[in-house]
Amino acid sequence: MKARRRHNAETARRRTTLTLPADSLLQAERIARARKVTLSTVISEALSDGLRAHTAAERSEEVLKAYRKALTGFTDEEMLVLDGILLEPAGKRR
Amino acid sequence: MVTPASGPYLFDTSAESWLGRSHDSMVRSWFREYLSIHQVHASAITVVERIRGYAVLSRRAQEARRDAIEAARIAYLSELGQVWPLDGAVGVVAGEIMALLPDPPTPPRRSHQLAESRQERLARWRFDGMIAATALVARMTLIHNNPADFESIRGAVERSPERFPRLGPLGLIRCDSLV
Repeated sequence: MKARRRHNAETARRRTTLTLPADSLLQAERIARARKVTLSTVISEALSDGLRAHTAAERSEEVLKAYRKALTGFTDEEMLVLDGILLEPAGKRR
Repeated sequence: MVTPASGPYLFDTSAESWLGRSHDSMVRSWFREYLSIHQVHASAITVVERIRGYAVLSRRAQEARRDAIEAARIAYLSELGQVWPLDGAVGVVAGEIMALLPDPPTPPRRSHQLAESRQERLARWRFDGMIAATALVARMTLIHNNPADFESIRGAVERSPERFPRLGPLGLIRCDSLV
């Protein structure tokens, strides 16, 4: 039941009115004619690609932020320890 | 220049640190682009080194600093990416590397009044062998900031291909050649 609801949400279409830059619209119409598909298909694919790139960029920022938080605020010697290089006072060496 | 799209790559512990701490805008944008396409792939050994590092720093730190170290540790764990296990195949390849190169190619590290013990240096060398073995088994190029160790391993793999059937060569990329 849940899977069907999700499938419906993914494939559902809604009519809307958009204001688009004229040159982008012309380009999309040219592509639609060349591929023999509807203008809606071309716009919908371009939107999906754009949204996917946006999500990927957001995800990448989250990871970068976590890395910065995980690895900054440490001295060079502390970073050696975090890199697996365990330094001890020279007198304590075995 | 290495194209992020040509990944994914396996990141050595030193490479994660170099990329995560770099203030160079080109390095940052390289890493940002990489992350928008791929996950960071790392060996379980990198997780061992990192988590031991946080634990050691926390144990040595004053009480007031421990919360910040714990926050850093949690941030690291929140974005581990794809961690490659130390499984049977990696164990076999790492064993071959360790047998070919029993001793580390460089002496223990020193910094001011601090020094790495010979035992620690040997353990770190073996960890590097396990990370290189992971890269070979995963057939991924290893990004690193530790040329002395990994170039030695690459050389040994190239000189003894019969010990690494259907594997190799070990692909290496130095951090400073990424951009």
